[in-house]
Amino acid sequence: MCELCTLLAGIIGTLVLGIFAIAFGLSVKGIDRKLSARMQWRIGPPLRQPFRDVRKLLLKQSVLPKNAVPWIYNSAPVISLAALISVLLFLPIGPVPALLGASGDIIVVLYLLIIPGIAMIVGGFSSGSPFASIGAQREMVLLISYELPLSMIVFTFAWMYSIVAPSLPALSFETFGTVPIWSVLGPAGFIGATIFLVVLLIVTTGEMAKVPFDIPEAETEIAEGIFAEYSGRNYALFYLADAVKMVVLPAIIIAIFFPYNLSPLLSEYFPNLPMSDWVAYGVDILFFMLKVLLIDIVAVTFMRTAFARMKIDQAVRLYWFHLFTAGIIAMLLVAADVMGVL
Amino acid sequence: MEMSDEALYTIPVGPVHPALKEPIELDLRVEGERIVGVDVKCSQAHRGIEWLGMNRNNSIQNIYLAERVCGICNVCHPYCMVLAVEEAAGIEVPERADYIRTIVAEMERIHSHLLWAGVAAHEIGFDTVFHYTWALREEIMDAIEYVTGNRVTKGIMMIGGVRRDITKEREERIRKALRYYEEKFEKIEDLVLHDKTIRMRTRNVGILTREDALKLCAVGPVARASGVPKDVRQDYPYGAYADIGVRAILPDQYTGEIIGDVYDRIVVRLLEVKQSIQIIHDALDNIPQGDIVAEKNLVKLLSMLKRAEGEGIGRVEAPRGEDIHYVRLRQGEEPFLSWKIRAPTYNNVLPWIPMLLGAEIADVPIVAASTDPCMSCLNRVTVVDESSRKEFTLTKERMHEMSVRKTRRMMRHV
Amino acid sequence: MPAITEVWKVLFKRPFTNRFPAKYAPRSVHGFVRRVQAGKAKIAPPVPTPPNFRGKINYEVDKCIGCGLCIRVCPTKAIVWRTVEVEQGEKKVAKKKVKIFVSRCCFCSQCVDICPKDCLSMSDEFLLANEDKLANELIVL
Repeated sequence: MCELCTLLAGIIGTLVLGIFAIAFGLSVKGIDRKLSARMQWRIGPPLRQPFRDVRKLLLKQSVLPKNAVPWIYNSAPVISLAALISVLLFLPIGPVPALLGASGDIIVVLYLLIIPGIAMIVGGFSSGSPFASIGAQREMVLLISYELPLSMIVFTFAWMYSIVAPSLPALSFETFGTVPIWSVLGPAGFIGATIFLVVLLIVTTGEMAKVPFDIPEAETEIAEGIFAEYSGRNYALFYLADAVKMVVLPAIIIAIFFPYNLSPLLSEYFPNLPMSDWVAYGVDILFFMLKVLLIDIVAVTFMRTAFARMKIDQAVRLYWFHLFTAGIIAMLLVAADVMGVL
Repeated sequence: MEMSDEALYTIPVGPVHPALKEPIELDLRVEGERIVGVDVKCSQAHRGIEWLGMNRNNSIQNIYLAERVCGICNVCHPYCMVLAVEEAAGIEVPERADYIRTIVAEMERIHSHLLWAGVAAHEIGFDTVFHYTWALREEIMDAIEYVTGNRVTKGIMMIGGVRRDITKEREERIRKALRYYEEKFEKIEDLVLHDKTIRMRTRNVGILTREDALKLCAVGPVARASGVPKDVRQDYPYGAYADIGVRAILPDQYTGEIIGDVYDRIVVRLLEVKQSIQIIHDALDNIPQGDIVAEKNLVKLLSMLKRAEGEGIGRVEAPRGEDIHYVRLRQGEEPFLSWKIRAPTYNNVLPWIPMLLGAEIADVPIVAASTDPCMSCLNRVTVVDESSRKEFTLTKERMHEMSVRKTRRMMRHV
Repeated sequence: MPAITEVWKVLFKRPFTNRFPAKYAPRSVHGFVRRVQAGKAKIAPPVPTPPNFRGKINYEVDKCIGCGLCIRVCPTKAIVWRTVEVEQGEKKVAKKKVKIFVSRCCFCSQCVDICPKDCLSMSDEFLLANEDKLANELIVL
């Protein structure tokens, strides 16, 4: 293939992925709000409310505070959204292999995931409001705290693959797809991986800054913190970034823990079904969306409904002490399993 | 290490802030997340209620004005006011009216405490408990509407008695609501007191020691949570409370110890809901027959009050603490000669300072909410410089001088 | 942590919220009201009012003797004097009546209590929202 064709394919792929992620993310947000409302004994907004919110925000004026640094303040939301969409390029979406899988692996994803947080911190500091500064400080602390358990999980599995499948690239999502972790682990490793899954779900909640970890935003304490000064188009972009996050982070969990597709199973049990390649693709993408939704319901809807907001020191203690300990135990279990000690 | 002044910065919480449902300003000096200085600036919501009562209204109109001092304590304020007027005019209240007043006041306490539990949960980001408690609160609101004719501004107090009797059907409706709460109480208790995240946010947060509570004259659940057994219903019974016998609720009845933190205030308020249910049951069981108002003819009552001369003080235990109204009547004048309201929040705002010093910014909303502040009750004066139309601060000396002058002016009327 | 199980239970319960006037806020309130009047849309019923509810005031002009006691006790000064020409045999006589501004009314029903002729009463009508505080529906003559 010519270089131009690759470039064109990349651009079109990015556009399609971006639009898919935004539309799907906003729908997930709608479902999340509806379910959360039902859990709280309310009716809740209609499912298309997030779309309306974005439309309304885009119509509104974007106010620039007097003390703000304009170029940082205005670019933070764009960087945040762009970084999140680019994460998607390195992730397999159901049956579709990662668009840029060849040029980046898990390390790139981990780095790209930090960028939205940093953009929010910089944007918060640059808006020149005391509430936003406090929010940015809190976001910084939170960012540092959840990174530790997250990288621990990823590197444990990378190490595991380097032992069990030395021929495959250990840090590629491709490997996770071809040899699912559950297939190589024994009982001890199974328990370890389950602990990792729970830890990763809690990290996801923190990464999405939802209650109990919505500390940088904390409406009643610091008036939406980082976003205190953001309005109009800028705030809409942050809103979209939040929606895309609701696809990206579950997609990572799916890539690591549940890289299964539905169509092979279907064609095995129902051999009479007319399964063309395109139908199989569609089924698998729908299955992927279902998995994303389920993970969002557990990690976002349930979490933000069933708990009170923590204080920043309590959140740090949870991530660094409790989750780190759980992670170490899980790591030892997986290691023992892979090395054949147990 | 000494912190340089640059490391400290001021965060204005209020006059408009999501943590505060009503306007008040808290200037916090913070060092990172820790609060090292607190300045409370009141008087952002002055409405001139006492002025209206002293210049525009007659006594009956003042009942409805007192009802609107605060939306939530809309029985305590008129109750307090009519007690003061009755004392000033020497009106004897029939016993049945006393019981009905007690019942309505306790129903208000149930709704106020449930409302507060929801608001407090919202302040720590626990909207689920907020929605549950407010949904459960609907039952008592419906019962109040059935008994008094309105959900919020009940309009049941009248000078010399009450305006509506508790008939057989109304009694049934109240009993139904009480049964509902007896059933649900365990669930509310479970949701609020046994939740780990709520405990994490409220235990050992915003501690008010017994000494500080006494020194700063804290009232109501705030004082009781710090171990001061102070309750007007117990110390200075009015209405039917003397017959029923109310004891002040202290948190150690539930937890076994008194810490004086936000959690203790939650405990006290929830136990008071239970206590109120019991009080209403007792009052309904023992309610005597008879008139519900001393003077049925309102025209006669108005002229009687116009002829009356004297002063009176009403003290009522509002859901937030002790409420005091002072009323002075003068012969031949329909409006009150003087009317002074001392709402419970007035006492409970100063304890914020010891509660907040050393706390974190994240604690501000829940600590502030834990006293159940009601700014509309609190604010009665805004000082404005007539020439420049700007607000200014009064010095202590000037305040003293003005107070002496006012006392002299009032002495002339005596 | 009781909320953990509670939220899943509540998820399958019917929401507590009363659906009045419609499940979701209509795009345009005026349009919704017009559709309801045309019979195309339905209003979800509000919570029923209890007996002796204090709603919009009713006034029977003919019974009124113009004593003005209601004006004296009205806490919001929602009641004002009004002169009415009444035919009495041959000639017209000016009689004193009252006019009640419902938009000022605080629904305490104190005027109902004091009225010596019982010409005032409270209905259970409470859907009184209007854009014009001096609309005809909000002035009781």
